[in-house]
Amino acid sequence: MRRRWFFLGAIALFFWGLWVLEVRPGQLIPSEGGREAAGDFLSAAFQPALDYEELDMRGGEVSFLGKIGKALWLTVRYAVVAMSLAFVIGVIGGVLGSRAWWSKPNLFLQVLRIGTRLLATAIRSVHELMWALLFLSAVGTSPLVAILAMALPYGGTLAKVFSELLDESESSAGAVIRASGGSGTTAFFAGVVTKALPDLATYALYRLECAVRSSAVLGFVGIPTIGYEIKTAYEDGHYHEIWSYVYALLIVVVLFEAWGAKVRGLLTKGTPSRVGEEKGQSLSELWQGRGRSWFLRFSVATLTVGIAAGWMAEDRWGAGVGWEQREKNLDRFTDEMVPYPVREADGDWSVFGSWFSEKMSDGGAVALWRTFHVGTTAILLAGGLSLIGILFAARTLAASNPRGVRDGGSKIRGLLGMFLRGASMLARAMPEYILAFLLLRVFGPTYWVLIFALAIHNGGILLRLGAEVIDNTKSQASEVILAQGGNRSSAYLAAMMPAGFNRLVLFLFYRWESCIREATVLGMLGVASLGFLISDAKVAFFYDEMILWVGLGAALVFVGDLTSDFVRGKLRTVE
Amino acid sequence: MLEFQSASLSYGATVALDSIDLTIRSGEQVCLIGPSGAGKSSLLGLCNGRVPATSGKVVLNDQNLGELKGKALKEVRSGIAWVPQDLGLIPNLRVSQNVACGLAARKGFWGLMRSLLLMGKAEKERVSGLLKRVGIEEKIFSRVDHLSGGQRQRVAIARALYQEPQMILADEPVSAVDPERAKSLVELLTTIAREEKMTLVMSLHDVDLAQRYFDRVIGMRAGRVVLDGSPDDAGVKELYRLDQ
Repeated sequence: MRRRWFFLGAIALFFWGLWVLEVRPGQLIPSEGGREAAGDFLSAAFQPALDYEELDMRGGEVSFLGKIGKALWLTVRYAVVAMSLAFVIGVIGGVLGSRAWWSKPNLFLQVLRIGTRLLATAIRSVHELMWALLFLSAVGTSPLVAILAMALPYGGTLAKVFSELLDESESSAGAVIRASGGSGTTAFFAGVVTKALPDLATYALYRLECAVRSSAVLGFVGIPTIGYEIKTAYEDGHYHEIWSYVYALLIVVVLFEAWGAKVRGLLTKGTPSRVGEEKGQSLSELWQGRGRSWFLRFSVATLTVGIAAGWMAEDRWGAGVGWEQREKNLDRFTDEMVPYPVREADGDWSVFGSWFSEKMSDGGAVALWRTFHVGTTAILLAGGLSLIGILFAARTLAASNPRGVRDGGSKIRGLLGMFLRGASMLARAMPEYILAFLLLRVFGPTYWVLIFALAIHNGGILLRLGAEVIDNTKSQASEVILAQGGNRSSAYLAAMMPAGFNRLVLFLFYRWESCIREATVLGMLGVASLGFLISDAKVAFFYDEMILWVGLGAALVFVGDLTSDFVRGKLRTVE
Repeated sequence: MLEFQSASLSYGATVALDSIDLTIRSGEQVCLIGPSGAGKSSLLGLCNGRVPATSGKVVLNDQNLGELKGKALKEVRSGIAWVPQDLGLIPNLRVSQNVACGLAARKGFWGLMRSLLLMGKAEKERVSGLLKRVGIEEKIFSRVDHLSGGQRQRVAIARALYQEPQMILADEPVSAVDPERAKSLVELLTTIAREEKMTLVMSLHDVDLAQRYFDRVIGMRAGRVVLDGSPDDAGVKELYRLDQ
């Protein structure tokens, strides 16, 4: 009954969102001129450039492939360096925000812990693109801006998740150390942190994959990563080059994901001993034969060297504009970020309310409302599509003997499953912002573009997570249905989906908060929502308005985060 | 010597232990038996001051555990090893690293971190010797989550022994293994405790094991001691029968 209401509510919310956003199927058909441009753009996807499209560009110092390599290097380097800073923020914030660290907190320490968690959530509520815009406006362009823009929200995210992971790892291991006379600090680090270490490292690696995507997207606001090259190539009409950059980015992101998956597996499962571990073996023999992974060691060494090289390779972190100019920019920014009427009234904040109301009625409230619906409609579309996709992508259902029951069916289903899993990997690898940028070239500025971009990326993630849930769900009912002659769809819909329902909804909410976060910036591509207002204010140097829209976006994400946390917490207790 | 003097323990309105009067002498092998919720784990919690008595006293070697704080409490605890029901091991660490956690009090924070990251040869040999004693010396460098249930219990025993305690508290440490393994583990622990002249207080569900391996059996029900005597006491079987 609850499931039925959930589905009906989701369908109603989806169509309500379409109504609010005033989207119609007709908007998906480009105009005649647009069709031609879209055709050119799409056909270029099959012929990516291996050299500059314009001959006069060849005279430059760097070959086209060299240019791709440099853009990729900068993309990865900024991501790695930013993550190293975010990791430090995450560890400090994670420990301070964790219940396990404050074993017997008084009221002050409780406030400090909750304050740390809320601060972490607030910092991550502002999207990295917005941080970049704020820093660019405040101090001008420099590589450090890119690093800080990523490190702050990623640090906040790591702090939030680390504190949750540390709390989940609190167990009797720490209690045993305390009970045998060890200090609270010893018990926390030896009993809690060591236990949580594989999960902490796993999550940090996942965020590194995300950071590579974010780093690419920062190119759209002027940071010289691969996103910058994609944007410039579009402005020059070099469609073939765009696809070369996109494919290169996809390859790097997929490689990062594959590497991360391998490292995560090794950390979680460990490596078995290489000797028989028989009695009578000497200590040194056992030590030599202990389980260890060269791949893991190599990965740790590479990452360490990569971080050091990433920091050292840049000799001008503050480059871009002179310090004098930076000071001027900062002065102007800090002056003008105060709302205009407050400045006019010599700092009298009583006029703020009427200015705020005016801005909200002048498009702010509508933009906020639409941003919420873009994120929500997109995740519902992604959820719906992934629910259908799971039927074909889940390995236990796609196998020739589904759930171990002999079926004797054709191999087409298995191939379809492989195709879907591959497609979901590509969808995950593609940043939403770049996806929206490409879709805009095909459909023009419509909300469909934002919805599709978010739905494709998140659909890929939900398909993978959902298929894993279904594969890992123990459901004898599904085996009974299959053994009694029922088909896979019946087994999936009648037995497996209900059994894994709570986890599927949990993932839906986890991605919903992420969709809302992304929705706040996608408007910067030119579709009327919060992001559009932000970039509009930035171009006009209206820093007060810019701060207002960034703050509103952050508030929306903050509320979304808390709602999602609450619902997921409830779902976990039901599980 | 450990003395309970009218010691009670309550959690809100729930009475976990009701005015317990007991004396456990040094080197004694004591088994606590009784049904779930009888108060066995709570009694063990009072033994090392993990939980303070809500009324009455628990006195260890003339020191009231309820009054001890900070360094003094840590000092007392460093002489008492505890093996909880879920063993309290760190699954993703090696056996040697888990055993090293037994000396957390003496090593201090940095000393333990050093043992976990770069254990010296001498310490490895000491750990290996202990593991040999519990029969799993070949597993010294295995990750704990690669071990069987019985092997993990031996790691927990080795960690307790590494502490060189005067007393071991074990809270149903064999509840998750088959009867044969449970028997060999209880035999191992009681034998070592006797050899080292350590006090052993263990809670168990299996009355046969209690009668076979311990000097004294304490029966509990609803937070009270209902039986205290030698394993041959006829009341032991009677208590067991009533609980079935």
